[in-house]
Amino acid sequence: MATQTHEFTVEMTCEGCSGAVNRVLGKKEGVEKFDVDLPGKKVFVTTSLTSDEILETLKKTGKATNYVGTKN
Amino acid sequence: QNKVKIKVEGMTCNSCVESIEKMMSSVEGVKTIKVSLENKEAVIDFDPQQTDPTLLKDGIDNMGFDASLEN
Ligand SMILES: [Cu+2]
Ligand SMILES: [Cu+2]
Repeated sequence: MATQTHEFTVEMTCEGCSGAVNRVLGKKEGVEKFDVDLPGKKVFVTTSLTSDEILETLKKTGKATNYVGTKN
Repeated sequence: QNKVKIKVEGMTCNSCVESIEKMMSSVEGVKTIKVSLENKEAVIDFDPQQTDPTLLKDGIDNMGFDASLEN
């Protein structure tokens, strides 16, 4: 399946938050690449998984998170 | 014994503490949870019929913090 890059907003306020996001995404199988923008409160995930699956993974951190859309 | 102390690495501020407390207090079997940023630990009072220390440790670990059981 083709990979896509999905954009999410995650209510991150400190390095603990971005560290947690890094960790859950790093452990998630099927995630090819990701970028965490702490000041922008954004996360970009390149994956063949659905955006819903990634959203569920991000929600495990307990932070408010939303799906923005795909990027090319 | 229904009290467990879990070592938690990766918290940097009070919002980290709050998110762990909030998330874990909604877990089945958790009666009370107190997280300390300073001591890098979570102390959880739980119902042994519904959960166990390993499950609780995994719960925090899955949130993206490095959690381990102290002996
Ligand atoms: Cu934080
Ligand atoms: Cu924090």
